[in-house]
Amino acid sequence: MNKLQKAKKAYESINIPKNLNQVIENACARNRYKKENKKYVPAFVGTLAATFAVFVALINVNPSFSRAVENIPILGEVAKIFTFTEYHEESDTNLIDVRIPAIANTGNSDLENRINYEIRAKMNEIIEEAKQRAKEYQKAVLETGGSLEDYHPIVINMDYEIKYSDNKIISFVITKSETLASAYTEQYFYNIDIQNGKELNLRDVLGENFKQLADEQITKQIEERKKNSDNSFFDEEMGGFSGIKNEYQDFYIDKQGNVVIVYPKYTIAPGYMGIQEFSIAHFI
Amino acid sequence: MLWVLTRTEEILIEYIKKNQKKLYKVAYSYANDEEAALDIMQEAITKSLENISQIKNENYITTWFYRILINEGLQYIRKNKRIIECPLTENERDFSLDVENRIEYLDAYSVIQNLKPKVRTIIILRYFENMKIDEIAKILKVNTNTVKSRLYKGLQELKECFERREKNE
Repeated sequence: MNKLQKAKKAYESINIPKNLNQVIENACARNRYKKENKKYVPAFVGTLAATFAVFVALINVNPSFSRAVENIPILGEVAKIFTFTEYHEESDTNLIDVRIPAIANTGNSDLENRINYEIRAKMNEIIEEAKQRAKEYQKAVLETGGSLEDYHPIVINMDYEIKYSDNKIISFVITKSETLASAYTEQYFYNIDIQNGKELNLRDVLGENFKQLADEQITKQIEERKKNSDNSFFDEEMGGFSGIKNEYQDFYIDKQGNVVIVYPKYTIAPGYMGIQEFSIAHFI
Repeated sequence: MLWVLTRTEEILIEYIKKNQKKLYKVAYSYANDEEAALDIMQEAITKSLENISQIKNENYITTWFYRILINEGLQYIRKNKRIIECPLTENERDFSLDVENRIEYLDAYSVIQNLKPKVRTIIILRYFENMKIDEIAKILKVNTNTVKSRLYKGLQELKECFERREKNE
């Protein structure tokens, strides 16, 4: 046997980890779940009835989910607008820490109810799915000969950050992370016009030329970042940046009032580059 | 909310599940570490499913997935250069080889691991995965002559390394 054949034997003998199948299943399922959310966002107003049903169903189906809810106003300027729901849950499958924002005192209680339901329903659903994944993962560990001691509970964390708030507009992001094969983070952006009771999209904040404006800025900033050799982005055929898709692209408004477009990890650059943010222009 | 798989998604997922062991070994050849290899697999799957709408021709799916997987692998090497320069000392247990052949086989494998990642990729695809030159060319998006010349260069280099090792022994 020559050396190349010996090397090949070594290559062929590479052990297959017990959880390979599980990691693959999760990766496939995770994408499905992402996709559902994408469909979900633009249908903000129309799905109220549906989301309400989901929310109620969740509470009924899973009594542990309707736990003590605390409303603690945050101090300072934003106190007028924001409250949040907080809870903590521990089991041998998962540790859950959640803070979900809600808006209040805007003078438009219809709007508040609608938005708060929407946010709650969506976040409840996301957490339920994360719990389900944790359960499946635990099952896989046990079935492949692991003991309960081998299993570390999955940590599911949800928190929010207020990016911008005045008496007309609020912008905030909800971040969910769960530790599974590797830490996995997802963000949900909300930009709400309080006066007109509508969710803002890029056309609303950047004007009719939003696409040209955003594409130019993002392309320029990617080129700028590429100058540092530690940074890399996918090229276009690998699924890299090729222009924003439409006005429903994720964004938030920063403290200075700039519109910032956000690309999650893996979308336009390799995982190690993390979340990519691009400040486009001051909102109109 | 019902979510229906598109046909291309179905084909891709089935392909990945069926060939998971094979694909994992490719990932491992870049990572030399179990956990990192799993991460590479996971990122490749996420990426491919997210961008699957780009695929117009079903026959192209497997080639395309390989390309993404290899890119993730190369990316990993670039990012972790220092960590993986001395492979196979601590991860012997990631291989199931007989005791009698162990050292010899791993030694031969480590010579391949010391090739430049791009050259190594071609050696692995050609000799370990038994792919044809034009298949490799499609995956790497280069022409067949480039594959041939890199392969030739890789083999020359390997020969020299193997000879050098023998002399030292």
